[in-house]
This record gives sequence, C-alpha cells and structure tokens, in this order.
Amino acid sequence: MSQKGVENLTAHLFRENSGKMVAVLLRHYGVTHLDTIMDVVQDAFEAALLKWRFSGLPENPSAWLMKVAKNKAFNAIQRENKSTTFLEEHFTSNSNYSIYENFSDFEGDELSDSQLRLLFLCCHPKLSPQNQIISTLYILCGFGIPEIANALLMKEEAAKKALSRSKNLFKESGNLLLKDNFHPSPDQIDMVNTITYLMFNEGYKTTRSPQSIDHDLCFEAIRLTKLILNLNDENKSESQALLALMFFNLSRFESRFDEKEIPLTLEEQNRDKWNNIFIEEGFSYLKESTSSEKVTRYHVEACIASLHAAAPSFTETPWPQIAALYSTLENISAPNPLIELNRIIAQSYFLPFNLIIEKLDSIYSDNDERLQFLLSTSKGDIYKRNKKYKLAAAAFQQALNVANSPTDFRFVQKKIEECMKAD
Amino acid sequence: MKEYLLLIRENIDNYGKMTPEEMQQDIANHMKWVEQLIENGNFKGGNPLMPDGKHIKGKSKIVTDGPYIETKEGISGYYFLLAESLEAVTEIAKGCPSLAMGGTIELREVMQMPE
Repeated sequence: MSQKGVENLTAHLFRENSGKMVAVLLRHYGVTHLDTIMDVVQDAFEAALLKWRFSGLPENPSAWLMKVAKNKAFNAIQRENKSTTFLEEHFTSNSNYSIYENFSDFEGDELSDSQLRLLFLCCHPKLSPQNQIISTLYILCGFGIPEIANALLMKEEAAKKALSRSKNLFKESGNLLLKDNFHPSPDQIDMVNTITYLMFNEGYKTTRSPQSIDHDLCFEAIRLTKLILNLNDENKSESQALLALMFFNLSRFESRFDEKEIPLTLEEQNRDKWNNIFIEEGFSYLKESTSSEKVTRYHVEACIASLHAAAPSFTETPWPQIAALYSTLENISAPNPLIELNRIIAQSYFLPFNLIIEKLDSIYSDNDERLQFLLSTSKGDIYKRNKKYKLAAAAFQQALNVANSPTDFRFVQKKIEECMKAD
Repeated sequence: MKEYLLLIRENIDNYGKMTPEEMQQDIANHMKWVEQLIENGNFKGGNPLMPDGKHIKGKSKIVTDGPYIETKEGISGYYFLLAESLEAVTEIAKGCPSLAMGGTIELREVMQMPE
C-alpha cells in the first residue's frame, strides 16, 4: 500500500488534468488527431483507475497521468501514421518544442499557451455560441457529455451530435494549434470573452436545482477568462471587468437559494452569507479594469454588481445610480429588452408606480416565454411592494403559466402564497 | 484469522463510458475502502491486473485472448483479506466499490499448508 491516501486526491483532479493533457498533446500532434487524443486521455484515466485504487496515489498524480497519456498518444499516432513519414518530419520541424524531454514540468507558460490555443479553437467563429460552449466544456474543461447536457438543459444525444459536428469542423480548420506564433485578434478575444461570460451565466442562473455542477461551470469560466487576461493590452481591461463581474456574482452564489431550494431575490438574501473574499477580488479587478479609457458592457455590469455588493442592506441600494448605469448599458449595447427591464426595475424604487407599470407594459415580449416570465414576476413584485396584493397575485399567476423549470415554479408559488397571506 | 482471496471480475468497457469526474470518484471510493480494510486489520495485500491476457485451454493448448469474446470482461484485480470466517469476509467484501459498477466478486479461502 502506498504512502499517499485518498485525502491527497485533489477535487476535480481528473477533470482539470483532462483539459490540460488534451491541450498539450493537441498542441504537439495537431487537431487532426483530436479523437485519438481524447481517447488516449480517457485511456490514461482508466489506467489510473485500475492501478491507483489498488496501489494508492503516485507521488505526482498529474505527472503520472501525463506520462501515461504521452506514451499512449505516441504509440497510437505512430500506428495511425505507419504509412506516412509525418512523425519524423514533424519532430524535426518542432524541435524547439520538447514534449518528450520534460513532462513533469506540467505548469507554466507552455501549458497556458497550449490551453489558450485550444480555447480559441473551441470558440471557432463558425460555431454557434452554444456549440462553442459545448466544445470548450468537453475538450478543454474535461466535462462529460451527461454533465454538459445537464448544465445546458439539453438532451445527451443532442450534445453528442453537436460535439461531433464541431470536431469535424476543427479538424478541417488547419493548424492554429501548431503555428509558431499565436496572436489572436482583438475581435477573437472579444468573442472568447463572450463565451466565458455565457458559460458563467449558465452556471449562475437559478433555473434548476442548485445541486448540479453549476459551481464548477462558474469556476471554469473564471479560470478561462484569467487565461485570456494577458493576451494583449487592447482587451485586457475588458477581461478584467468581466472577471470583476464574475467575482461579484460569485460572492452571492451560496445565498441565492433558501433551504427548500427556492431562489431568493436580492432583497431576501442574507448579506452576511455573501463571500467577502470574492467581493474583494471583484473590486480589485474592477479597479484594474478602469485604468484604460475603454468602457465595455462588462465594465458597466461590473459597476452595477459592485454597487449591490457594497450596499450594507437592500434598502440602502443606490437605485438612481444603478438605473443610470443600465441606461448607459442600453446606449452601448444592441437593443435588449432584458437590459430595459432591469433599468425599469431599478427605477421602480424611486419613480411613481403607475409610470413603472406603463413602462413594463410597453416592453414587447413577442413569443419569448422567458421574457414573459421575467416581466410578469417583476410586475408582481412591484404590485406587491405597493401593497396591491390582488394585482400582484394575478401577475404571478401569469408567470406561473410560462414557468418552465421546477425552481421557477416553486419561486412563483411562494410569491403567490405571500400575496394571499398579506391580503 | 483466516486468509481469503478476493477476485474482482468486471467489464472494463464500462469505464470507457465514465466521465473523468466519475472515474476519479470511483478511485476515491476504492481507496477509502482499502484504507478501511487496513484500519480494521483485514488487508493483507492486493494488485491490479493488466486488462489484456491470454487464455489457454485443454490438451490442445489453444491460446485465445480471453474466455469472453464480446466484452472486455475479466479479472481486474485481486486482494488477500484476513477475516474470522467466510461469513465475515463475505460481509466485508460487500463493501467493495466494484460491485456498484456491476462487477462480480469471488471469495475463496486460502488453504494453509503445513510447514
């Protein structure tokens, strides 16, 4: 029996190493071998599984896994290339990249570089944002198909299909991973930031029960955004603002649900439970992000989040300032009813209530059930605050008709009960 | 204390379908189980076996890759356990995490030969 016990098995060790191993091996062999390399990494985990459960952990589990994967990749790809001279040519042209010499040095610039290249490959401009997220989670973040399907509320079969289409596209897309110099354009960086932003939101939203992998999705989004951070000066402040936003939101992660797993509004949340370390992290990134002249949507959203984080209590929230920031956000973004809705909600704390209802009614929700749901719950909340309980209950009842997740359903039912009690 | 051989038979193909997170959990479960065995003084030794092997049968000594053609099912590892009785070691073996993965366990007492 080994000296290292189960307590040394770091949480998510496999998942984290999966992306790193794939990134390093792909960087070396090229994306045409994507499937082989994904298989090889899976094989390395199987080998670990069979061995470690008897012998305990090796001294350096990450290095052990990488070494096994490296050997398996070498053998598998040599078999594939038996008829060609690809390997030899490839090794001589990449002689500066010493994959065979030192794998224990599994951190540092080379690793970040490999992961970055893979991130930009996964966020291929020809893919939809949803498919970019699926590829990133699967290839770079080591999530399994069932986990991804669960996180993105889709069927496993659909996730699998999307992934296989994306993989084919990657294989055709040439040698981004092999190029000596890797300098993504500001537009590309911008797009990858959008993907990490969406990935974070997927993990953060409260439409499903809090016991899934949401938390990990948020942390992965932060990890990837940190990777992008230092790519170029032009986009730096944007990534910093995005990180600030993520940390402010993450600080409230644990307080978003009550013990019955019903989502809690900002007003209902216990502010003592907000994570101060994350809030500080948020402020530190926000401060760094303002060193540039550039103002992006992430800057504005992070400022809004910072005002919430800094308010000692809900009643002390600086609503006029928040409403003004939402107006700024409307000015710099494409027309978006969600931003408008948020601005109106902020205004509802200091403008006459009839005016607010009028403004809400003027938002065109078309067939967007999610927007209808948010409009109805907002209306219900505003009526309720103004002690118009019957109207509030009716608005919540409307929300119930378009609620499409158990958590939404429970949330609205609780609100209806509160209205009935108060009436 | 008597000595028992515990053989784990499982379908290795099952592991190909697990996510990295699930595989890691499986390792953790096994390690916890073995640590418990050691703590209780039931553990004597054990080793994993390589998935590939040879099967030799009968007088004609026909060599095949294994008794099973369709699946990669085989003996994935063995333990030597110490326990008071077959009944006691059976209870202990029920805690083996391979069972939850659909594996089969075979228990046999090791015959002690006189010196």
